[in-house]
Amino acid sequence: MSKEKSEIPYGTLDLLILRSLETIGRMHGYALARRIEQVCGESLQLSQGSIYPALIRLEQEGWIDTTWGVSETNRKVKFYSLTEAGRKQVAVEIANWEKATALVARFLGATS
Amino acid sequence: MTVHGLVARLVALVRKRQFEEELDGEIAAHLELAERDALASGLSPEQARIAARKQFGGIESMKEQHRDRRSFPWLENAWRDVCYGVAGLRRDPGFTAVVVGVLALGVGANVAMFGLLDAVMLKPLPFGNPDRIVRIWEAPRPGVTNSTTAPDFLDWRQMATTFEALTAESPISMALTGAGDPVRLDGRAVTADYFRVFDVGVQLGRTFQPRDLEPGHEAVIVLSHATWESVFGADRGIVNRKILLDGEPHEVIGVLRPGAFDRSEEARFWRPLVIQPGQYKRGVHWLMVHGRLRPNLTPLQARDEMRRIAASLRDVTPSHKHTWLVEVEPLQKLLLGDNLRQSMYLMFGAVVLVLLIACANIANLLLAKGAARRKEMVIRTALGASRSRLGAQLLTETLVLAALGGAAGLALASFLVSAAAPFLAEMVPYTTTLALDYRALAFAGVIVSLVGVLIGGLPAMQISAANIGSSLQQASRGSSGGKHSLRRFIVVAEVALSLVLVCGASLLFRSLLNLRAVETGVRIENVVTMSVNLPLQTYRTPAAAATFFESLRERVRAVPGVSQAALSTHLPLRWVGNGEAIEVAGQPAPINVRFKRVDAGYMDAFGIPLLKGRGIAESDRHGSPRVMVINEALAARLADAAGIRNPVGMTVGLYCPVYGERRTTTEQVEIVGVIRNERVAAPGAPHPPIVYVPLSQVPIDGVKLIVRSDIDSAAVIAGVREALGSVDSHLPLGDIATMREVRERTLAGASRPAWLIGVFAGFAALLAAIGLYGVISQTVNQRRREMGIRMALGARASDVVGHVLGDALQLVLIGLVVGASGAFALTRFAKSLLFGVSPLDPVAFVIACGAMVSIGIVACLIPASRAARLDPAMTLREEG
Repeated sequence: MSKEKSEIPYGTLDLLILRSLETIGRMHGYALARRIEQVCGESLQLSQGSIYPALIRLEQEGWIDTTWGVSETNRKVKFYSLTEAGRKQVAVEIANWEKATALVARFLGATS
Repeated sequence: MTVHGLVARLVALVRKRQFEEELDGEIAAHLELAERDALASGLSPEQARIAARKQFGGIESMKEQHRDRRSFPWLENAWRDVCYGVAGLRRDPGFTAVVVGVLALGVGANVAMFGLLDAVMLKPLPFGNPDRIVRIWEAPRPGVTNSTTAPDFLDWRQMATTFEALTAESPISMALTGAGDPVRLDGRAVTADYFRVFDVGVQLGRTFQPRDLEPGHEAVIVLSHATWESVFGADRGIVNRKILLDGEPHEVIGVLRPGAFDRSEEARFWRPLVIQPGQYKRGVHWLMVHGRLRPNLTPLQARDEMRRIAASLRDVTPSHKHTWLVEVEPLQKLLLGDNLRQSMYLMFGAVVLVLLIACANIANLLLAKGAARRKEMVIRTALGASRSRLGAQLLTETLVLAALGGAAGLALASFLVSAAAPFLAEMVPYTTTLALDYRALAFAGVIVSLVGVLIGGLPAMQISAANIGSSLQQASRGSSGGKHSLRRFIVVAEVALSLVLVCGASLLFRSLLNLRAVETGVRIENVVTMSVNLPLQTYRTPAAAATFFESLRERVRAVPGVSQAALSTHLPLRWVGNGEAIEVAGQPAPINVRFKRVDAGYMDAFGIPLLKGRGIAESDRHGSPRVMVINEALAARLADAAGIRNPVGMTVGLYCPVYGERRTTTEQVEIVGVIRNERVAAPGAPHPPIVYVPLSQVPIDGVKLIVRSDIDSAAVIAGVREALGSVDSHLPLGDIATMREVRERTLAGASRPAWLIGVFAGFAALLAAIGLYGVISQTVNQRRREMGIRMALGARASDVVGHVLGDALQLVLIGLVVGASGAFALTRFAKSLLFGVSPLDPVAFVIACGAMVSIGIVACLIPASRAARLDPAMTLREEG
């Protein structure tokens, strides 16, 4: 595995998905995967398939909603969008993430 | 995980196919879109497809992750195994039905028995902090208990420090009139602290306060919840209303909460107990005392204090009581009784044996099935199924069986409990409510898990023990004649365990027969008994009561169908609770006797023969010279103690209770006759000395009415009720029972456990028969070839049958030897419940062994006859 490219840190894929849906709105799985790749740029190594297990879990928690739509290739696909609970969850996840990074940063600052 | 997530996951569990299809659709769409983008960026179609795949990552591992995420994978696996197990069981419904049935018998009997044990012994009594409630007795001798006197109770209450409260009570019986037919209510006259001691709350109104016990304020009553419902129709407006008891208005001040006392026939209402000045006598024992211990004090500490108090009262205590002690007994222990406790343990032991036998049976069936499926298992193993996977599947199958059997057993248990509750009501204390609850459910869960563990491992063990290579070879040959020592061992164990139970049951039944054959000394056929109580306010003088009894008997005799009528204070076969004493000239101490009032018809009605002198006559009326009749036991006592050979004609001083008061006077009474003993104590106990005095000469306010008739008892009772109404329309008839029922009640403590254990033994023997049948018929099946050869070589059908039976009897006999030694060791635990039978009674053992051998033969007849009908040519061809 190359050193520049990194896998998504554990637990952040949920945040990336929720945040993407919050910014863009309703989209299907492929578009979502592309969006995450684009925003993260070359630094991210994402297996696009890995968003689906994450999506099903977020759906089960009630944070995202699915509707059926038609893809650009004329196929029936699921479109994902954020629910009201999901919108709140974005804020929670961001706060958690900032707390965690701040903690790690302080820890690293103190020991270096 | 949020609730939302949990629900969604459970949904995903059952809608698996839909999720899979949707996911496949999404993956296809995703790859299509990715391919399109890749094509647009200038790649060749082939390259574009590869690129799209590469970007997507591993599809199968993603799907696996998807499944894990969206649901509970372990649950899904288990569910799959369960479905597989259920499918397997449905393929073989006969096997499933037998196993579930056998298990249901075992579990059902156990859960029902646990329900009984729990209700009787484990659950706390329905009072607040029931372990602190104790009964306080006087004890003339160790092991003999007696009620106490009013002054002693008052002294105890004042001096004792180990109790939070002490209360005295005395039984009362009053007639409720004013609404339809008069109703007789049995109740308790109690001191103010009664409900503090028993800690029972009210649903309506209040309980007693000290001012209710002041003279003139005692016309107030508290009702039990059951009485409120059955007699007053659960009328919420009853509180503060006045009702007529014995013709006097009484105000209802409270109704108890449901539960406590609701099954008690003797305590249906409570009234304040006011001790009259004339009742302060240290010789008259009429109060039952209960106390509530202070927290953290033991009954033993209380007993020691009570004995110190009794010693300090020595100077004021009559001299014949100087050797008396005080006993303090926990209420729970008192209600339960040693006999009932013993019976409970015994019955529970019996039912556990049944469960063990059921397990052995199921193990046997599973082993047989395992043997039949050996080929399948071997092939699956050869095809690469791991042993652990096969084992897990077989285990699940057994667990499914256990769960099904458990559910069926629970249903059976609830049926058994509701069916047996009326049958057992006589046997258990009034505080016990028989019903299955969550505790029984939990117990069922524990049992089913235990059974699952016990039998679940067996088929799995068989797999791992199977040597695949040799099994395959054996399987291909059709497995002629395996040893199956494990199955034979199980059958031997079943026979042995059953024998233990059957021995116990036959001992108990022999004891029951002895009890039934006990000489009761009375004829009880076609006798109905009732009780009548007189209000003292209406019948103020002994003469009034005597007149009433005389006219009542006249009227009852005239009722059509009545051949004999009699009055008595105590029924035959019931203990004479009234104890007095006689003073015989020249004897240093009075002789304690039981005191029973009867009228002139009593001896005739029950056919009690006269041995000497005369019986009670119609001419022994109120005011005529006082006479009494004594029983053989008293005559023997007089002969022993005073050397009196012929007591007839002598006059002794007899302590006679004074009508309507709690005191006695000593009267000079002539002994006019001796009668044969009638049974009043438990079978096996010695006859106590009894004096019989004419009811008219020492009247009392409550009697039993005894009627012998030659027509249907319901018609007689209606006639008697009318006759009573014509004498006094305010008086109700109470305690209606035939003498057979009275006798049943006396024997209930001994007969109920015997019947239950008999039923369990029947279960056990049936199960053992099923097990034996299974093993023998399998052996016959496996040895068809051998038998075919034998028959081809000239063996007759009878030889084959003899061979099969001999094989079976060998198992039964080994079982009997083992079982008999077990029974020898175990039946002594039933000793206290046996009457007239030794725990090692050879007759009972022989009967039990005979029964098991016959059961064994019956179980083998079908497989044996099948073996005899074998066609040698067929069997040889089919196995060749």
